[in-house]
Amino acid sequence: MPFGSIWGDSMDRSEIKVCVLRIEGTNNEDEMYYAFKRLGASPELVHLKDLKDIFDYNCLMIPGGFSAGDYVRAGAIFASRIRAKIANDLHRFIDEGWPVGGICNGFQVLVELGVLPGFKRMDYPDACLFLNNSARFECRPTLLKHENKGKCVFTRNIPKGEIMLVPSAHGEGKLLLPREKEQEYFDRLFENDQVVFRYVDKEGEYAGYPWNPNGSAHNIAGICNEAGNVFGMMPHPERAYFDKNKNGISGMNVFESVLKYIEEK
Amino acid sequence: MSGKQNVYEINLDLPDEKLLELSRKIGIGLSLDEMKSVRNYFREQGRNPTDIEIQAIGQAWSEHCCYKSSKSLLKKFIFNIEAPQNIFVIKEDAGVVEFDKDYAYVLALESHNHPSAVEPYGGAATGIGGILRDVVCMGAQPVALIDPIFFGPLDLPYDQLPKGVKHPEFIFRGVVAGIRDYGNRVGIPTVSGSVYFHPGYTGNCLVNVGCVGIIKKDDIIHSRVKELGDIFVMVGGRTGRDGIHGVNFASAELDEESETSSRSAVQVGDPITKEPLIHACLEANTKKLLNGMKDLGGGGLSCVVGEMAHAGGFGAKVNLEKVLLKEKGMKPWEIWVSESQERMMLAVSKANLQTVLDIFDKWDVDAAVIGETISERRVLVYYEGEKIFDMDSEFLTGGPVYARDVKVVKKDQKDVKTQAPKDINDILIKMLSDPNIASKDWVILQYDHTVRGSTSLTPLYGDVVNFSPQDSAIVKPVEELNKGLVISTAVNPFLLEYDPYWGAASAIDEIYRNIVAVGGRPHSLADCLNFGNPEKPERFGDFYQAVMGLNFATKDLKISFSSGNVSLYNESMIGSCPPTPTIVGIGIIDDVEKKVSSNFKKEGNSIYLIGKTEREFGGSLYYRIIGVEGGIAPKMDPQNLINYSNALLSSMEKGIVTSCHDLSEGGLAVAVVEMAFGSDYGAIIDLPLFKDMRADEFIFSESNTRWVVEVKDEKAFESLLNKNNVPYMKIGKVSGRKLEIKQNGSKIIDAPIEKLREKWKNAIWEHMG
Repeated sequence: MPFGSIWGDSMDRSEIKVCVLRIEGTNNEDEMYYAFKRLGASPELVHLKDLKDIFDYNCLMIPGGFSAGDYVRAGAIFASRIRAKIANDLHRFIDEGWPVGGICNGFQVLVELGVLPGFKRMDYPDACLFLNNSARFECRPTLLKHENKGKCVFTRNIPKGEIMLVPSAHGEGKLLLPREKEQEYFDRLFENDQVVFRYVDKEGEYAGYPWNPNGSAHNIAGICNEAGNVFGMMPHPERAYFDKNKNGISGMNVFESVLKYIEEK
Repeated sequence: MSGKQNVYEINLDLPDEKLLELSRKIGIGLSLDEMKSVRNYFREQGRNPTDIEIQAIGQAWSEHCCYKSSKSLLKKFIFNIEAPQNIFVIKEDAGVVEFDKDYAYVLALESHNHPSAVEPYGGAATGIGGILRDVVCMGAQPVALIDPIFFGPLDLPYDQLPKGVKHPEFIFRGVVAGIRDYGNRVGIPTVSGSVYFHPGYTGNCLVNVGCVGIIKKDDIIHSRVKELGDIFVMVGGRTGRDGIHGVNFASAELDEESETSSRSAVQVGDPITKEPLIHACLEANTKKLLNGMKDLGGGGLSCVVGEMAHAGGFGAKVNLEKVLLKEKGMKPWEIWVSESQERMMLAVSKANLQTVLDIFDKWDVDAAVIGETISERRVLVYYEGEKIFDMDSEFLTGGPVYARDVKVVKKDQKDVKTQAPKDINDILIKMLSDPNIASKDWVILQYDHTVRGSTSLTPLYGDVVNFSPQDSAIVKPVEELNKGLVISTAVNPFLLEYDPYWGAASAIDEIYRNIVAVGGRPHSLADCLNFGNPEKPERFGDFYQAVMGLNFATKDLKISFSSGNVSLYNESMIGSCPPTPTIVGIGIIDDVEKKVSSNFKKEGNSIYLIGKTEREFGGSLYYRIIGVEGGIAPKMDPQNLINYSNALLSSMEKGIVTSCHDLSEGGLAVAVVEMAFGSDYGAIIDLPLFKDMRADEFIFSESNTRWVVEVKDEKAFESLLNKNNVPYMKIGKVSGRKLEIKQNGSKIIDAPIEKLREKWKNAIWEHMG
């Protein structure tokens, strides 16, 4: 592959290769593909079986869906298959600062992999996305407030405090942390600027159901790792691509942000 | 015939009554006359049939597979309606209609009624599985699912539940879960549907399912073999004992034994096999590696091999032991008729075979070469080298056609004079709490309707957490085009029960209104005709009248039925279901950004009523609520429907209409309040005095061809409607947070929207929450 070192140089948009990774049951890959394609990047739909080297790509995205049916626990099977195939490479990819993103089922996969919240390097989950309080799958629009102060490479292009309408569609979206470390972990998430999106009502307040569709503590909808280059969120910015808010912000800005980051990396 | 391969000779040299008993015993449900013609055929062959041969005939000749009762009527009155946009329709598993110069959309609609009555979760899930295959086998990418479902009353007391029948609440819960788990996992959005509760569905629920796909015209593939030597490759799920005799089960009434006797007729669905199967089939097709593709549905291999070979002008030779099985010890006839899910049949030329097998291997989907085409138009089946099946495909696929007796029961419809009700507020609240009107969010929000990221108008839409029901959904199926598919469904069983002819015509009127209400031009239709036992002349009379009503309403509209399905024998020990011709309509909107939703947009905007309101209360919600029988069923005039729709669409194109909702059950009052539900606003409606109607009658009439619209430029709107001779009335404005309806200054309805919304939102949750 004629793909030399891109370190140190600013990249051309069309050279940015995004790996949209899938297995059976991943079913949000087309909209993820187009989210990057529309912005001029070069996304590729890659079946995990066909993935040769993660370092062929500048960004790894895990789309939503029901990978392997979510039959064991949401995202668990996909995560263990990724781990079996590329565990060491994935850690290196992250350590080198390349962006890794997961939406919905993809967020669940990143948590199952242990790379989110990612307080330390581990190969087992340190959190989970648990059954919604309503105990059912729900597809509904949600309002998200962007809360990140600039660490998350997927949202640097979105002003802090911006509120955007993004559809949610999941049955297991409630972020749970280990009970004995719950307070400590939440404190760290906030102190480290790892909280990215929170569910709010029309006034921008942290409101209960149905504004918060799953009962997630602190209304958390999306988080990143300590370095800011691994990011997961439950709602679907790739489905709200053209629904701009009054300041012109939409789901598109998530993908624009990460491409800008790669260009400048 | 040796018993070595588990194949047995069936002796047909029997007296008539024994012949009929045999048909029942082996579970194929053929009539005496049909059994006699089978006997004659094999007498000419000079032998008896094998068990696998007679089972194959039982599949191919079932009502479900060959439409023997309905075919002649449908040919004459439904499928002869011409429309220039049709590419090819009716002949295959799904209709193909032009979308733009490069793309076509594919539409299919089916029923999965009997399986869902016996096993709600599996029946409904595999209904989705089947309709997806119908669309995929044309080579199309599915982009939307549609689920009209019908149940008995949720509050039915258990002591009134007939023996062997499951409670409507249990069936409803199971069906919705089945649709949710299959549709969401396979990743195709469920964007449209309807939910009805009526006592006539208690013993026999209806679960209809539709699918829309999109395809490049060059990629359209047919359900037939192409040339001599084409190889049959069976792909997807393995074959098991689930779903044996499904089509025969679908072609008989349900009885109290159905649970035990027919459980094995219901298949087991697996969306996580289906999802990669769809990818693999579409990849092989777009790479032009396939000569033909057809799904395995009703009748299994038995139907697919014969039909594919016959349609291509060839015969087929199959080696049955090559079929991949779920379990050991299956008899050859079981393999041949099994309706196991997630299976497709490909016809592939020898040159492309290895490339095709490699694609399926990449996706971890099983593929097996099971046979090939032969020049003689016969179907030959071998099992480990021994010939166990040898029939000519003409006889096998040429099922009987009947002209069933029709008895039309005409009701004498008279206008009824009713007393003015004391509390009209209370009637409106009762309407909003009726499960047929109440919010279906319990159902709709469980379905993923935004997956694929192409849903431009969702079925519930409004102010983030408060929704108005939308008349249609809009999906934008092609990345590079702004054009959208407008998708809707309509049928009112209460009206059809009252008057099958005008009820069916009204369903066409409603589907047309629904599509126009969001800014779409109606483009094509699909019908799923759910009726009772066609061997009963009164039931078939209902069918006949509904077909005539559909014909009357549709023949001048220049849109036609591109796909359809007939489900008869929807009958249990407590009677037939109401006549239910479910209609799915597809419209086109040139720019999805120009969509019009039903929720109010701005305080102060004017509200208009388009169309004429008549004293039409036959089969209406109003008369059900106040307990009055009789009345005149709503009529419709196709020419008015076209004229009013065209004027409304031009006003939408000019951007003067900010919201629009069609009037159906509950009439004007329910329509206006539903528009308020998805907004922060209320409405003040001020009506004049009417010559022949009280205000309560005016606001609850269910006359056809009417819409409520919110308008921002009154002058432009009125002049456009005047110019086109469309009757309209300015009735009020978007205002406050209450619904106030006045006549000549005196209030007849005065209620806070929040209170009405709560009644509307909670009615189904109270049963299901």
